[in-house]
Amino acid sequence: MGMTSLLAILAKDLRLLWRDTAGLIFLTLAPIMVITGAGFSLANLYGADPTGQTAYEFPFVDEDGGALGRQLRERLEHESAVNLRVLASRSEAEQRVRDKQAGTALVIPRGTEAALHGGGTAELLLYTDPVKYLERLNVRIRLLELRDQLATEARETAAGAARGELARAQADAQRAEQSIAQARREADAAYVQAREAQAAAIAQVRAALDRTRAQVEEQVRRAADAATAQAAQAVQEQVRDLRAALSAYIETVQTRRADFERWLSELQRLAGSHAGDIPPPPVFPEMPAALAQLAGDGAFPIRVPTPAPFHLALPPVQLDLPPIPAPPAIEVPALTLPALPAVRGGLSIAETNLTGGPLHINTFDQNVPGFSVTFLLLGMLLGVSLGLLDERDWGTLDRLRALPIAAANVLVGKLLARFLVGVLQMSVLLAVGWLAFGVSLGPQPWALLLPTIGIVFAGCAFGLVVAAVAPTREAVLPVGSIVIVTMAAVGGCWWPIDLEPRWMRTVALAFPTTWAMDAFNDLMIRRRTVEAALRPTAVMLAYGLLYLTVGVAAFRRRLRQQAT
Amino acid sequence: MQPLDSAAAAPTGAGEPLIGVEDLRVRYGERWALDGVSFAVDAGEVVGLLGPNGAGKTTTLSVLATLRAPTSGTATVAGCAVDRQPAATRRAVGLVPQGVALYPTLTARENLRFFARVLGLRRNAADAAIAAALELAGLVDRSEDIVATFSGGMQRRLNLACALLHTPKALLLDEPTVGVDPQSRERIFAAVHAQAAGGAAVLYSTHYMEEAERLCDRVVLIDHGRTVAAGTPAALVRQGAASLRLAVVTRRALAVGWLDGVAGARVLDGDERADALASRGDVAHVAIHDLTVAARVLERAAASGGEVMEFHLHQPSLQDVFIELTGRALRD
Repeated sequence: MGMTSLLAILAKDLRLLWRDTAGLIFLTLAPIMVITGAGFSLANLYGADPTGQTAYEFPFVDEDGGALGRQLRERLEHESAVNLRVLASRSEAEQRVRDKQAGTALVIPRGTEAALHGGGTAELLLYTDPVKYLERLNVRIRLLELRDQLATEARETAAGAARGELARAQADAQRAEQSIAQARREADAAYVQAREAQAAAIAQVRAALDRTRAQVEEQVRRAADAATAQAAQAVQEQVRDLRAALSAYIETVQTRRADFERWLSELQRLAGSHAGDIPPPPVFPEMPAALAQLAGDGAFPIRVPTPAPFHLALPPVQLDLPPIPAPPAIEVPALTLPALPAVRGGLSIAETNLTGGPLHINTFDQNVPGFSVTFLLLGMLLGVSLGLLDERDWGTLDRLRALPIAAANVLVGKLLARFLVGVLQMSVLLAVGWLAFGVSLGPQPWALLLPTIGIVFAGCAFGLVVAAVAPTREAVLPVGSIVIVTMAAVGGCWWPIDLEPRWMRTVALAFPTTWAMDAFNDLMIRRRTVEAALRPTAVMLAYGLLYLTVGVAAFRRRLRQQAT
Repeated sequence: MQPLDSAAAAPTGAGEPLIGVEDLRVRYGERWALDGVSFAVDAGEVVGLLGPNGAGKTTTLSVLATLRAPTSGTATVAGCAVDRQPAATRRAVGLVPQGVALYPTLTARENLRFFARVLGLRRNAADAAIAAALELAGLVDRSEDIVATFSGGMQRRLNLACALLHTPKALLLDEPTVGVDPQSRERIFAAVHAQAAGGAAVLYSTHYMEEAERLCDRVVLIDHGRTVAAGTPAALVRQGAASLRLAVVTRRALAVGWLDGVAGARVLDGDERADALASRGDVAHVAIHDLTVAARVLERAAASGGEVMEFHLHQPSLQDVFIELTGRALRD
């Protein structure tokens, strides 16, 4: 029967809540509206909202028309924090700022690109309205980030090109060195080879010459002998031939002489009388005896001396080749390329996000869990306390106390009903945040149940304390409001707790809201896993137990006081 | 009239009473809310607890319903000591609180079903009890309507019906007809009678003496936490010193001593109804022994030059008994 009555009380309270239209709106629509309003209102605290609805109008004038202007424009068009408005002239941009249509405006003066290209400095003009502090701050931050990005990219490009050229030069130098070294080695090797070859050649030549000399000598000797023999033969033959010819000639001459004589005789005969007129014919000389000898068959009167044995005495070959000059020493000085001049570049900050979440959070990352916890507290504190007061005011509390059920079941049933509603409420609000505003539920969405259970339990239990402390509805509202406002504000529900001074953050550790937001931020923004939620949940449960103990004791005391 | 002893407060039936209160005392700080109340209620009996606001009626009922612990004395319900056996006591008790103790945003049936479940009634028994309760309360046609839309009388009827779901042995009603229309009051009375007829011991708290006279078998007059009288209404009236009273309204004030010499009649000093009649003329309140004396009183008033315009005859009631015993009216 205990469980039956407990479940009956639980079901009754859930039904009462279901019939409470204002309560349901307060639990669901109200926080969604507040989250939406606060989210968009405070979006620019975080830079931008994910929907871009709070983006600043940002007039933009590019007088330069260079690459920098194009780059800036392209990147600003994709920047969610601003709505780029390209204007034709700087006077228009100035006017929009003066007319409060925009808090800032950017002008790229003529010559900017040329100045940068030539290594000089350039300056962009940013018109601002300092009254729009936050807009000015956010736009400046974005522009500085863009400037750093572009400068870094340009530097890296230039450095890369320079490094590339240097690398190529170094490679070329290295290749040159290597080539020269190779050439030297080859020259040295060639020299050695030449010397060796020379020596070998000399030896070969010597040997060849020797062989040749010998051969020549032999051949010359043989040739000489042959020539001698041949000559002799030839002489003999010639002599023979000459002799023959001579003999023939002589014969002929003799014949001819004879003929001549006959002729002469004839002539004389013919001349008859005139024979006397005929001059005396020449007298044929008498063949000399030598000639007759020559023509005779006798020994040739010409003695061809027998050549002496031919002995070719070639002088030894003296190969005095000029030494191969040693190759000149190739001293290749080490090529030391000049280092790139140290150009002092801009200073950038390499931000390392140590969490698993994005670098830029959106306003709803803070507001969804923050205002969800706030309205949860409102629901829990006011719901539990006012719910108990309702039971008292309706008279049903006494009727329940007069029924055969455990007194604790009345409290437990009501607290359990509120607990279930609270868990459901948080789940719905987080789901709405995820669906409508793009907040992340972390890598383990189920892990969000832990801090949810913790804060709901603590809130329910604290509601019991408020019910015991505040005896009337009129007392519950201010007491509850003060408690909720303090816990929510100081606990980091409405703004990042890091905005608070250290001492306040220390004080905030006494509030379960602080631990709840710590867990939600770890799970949803830092994208940590369930382990990050264990300690905060344990702390919240401990607070809840403390509140429950105090609340039950105080509530019993109040009942006793009311009884007396 | 002296306060009656506990014997007059005792039930008339044989056997142990279903509700027994003996020298019950309850202290709130320095104040004694109950300072020695004793009475008993038997099965089938309707006992009225009659007294003005703050007399201790609700405190008595709260003790019997285990909502408050007695400082001293004893209180038992169905043989269970309320302070030592609270759970058993609650099973036997059906409490109709002074205020309407219902969930206004639930329907009549939902209210009944909730209390039936809390009482541990299983589905079939609960359905039957709910049907009977709706019938008794006359709310069958309005069972699916939100209680907040009910009239005060309908809410009071439902308030009673919720206490009867488990057929309690002892029914405690704390001023159940406050602000109730006559029709609803009649239904409540009928329900009370039905419970008594079914054997329940009914303790009916009220400051309406008419209800007590009509509904109760016996009444216990209580004031300042003490029992000042107990008995049947008729017996109390008979035993009281209150008598017939005649209120004579004259155009002119009657002289002092105008009634001298009229036997069986005497002029009374002041009356809580003086203000109501005073606007009509000069009022003289006279206690008379019987109706025959009334005529002589009227004659004397006329003869005294008062010019009688109207007269009112008042039968003694519990109110008179109470005033006589306590010096103040039930509705003070």
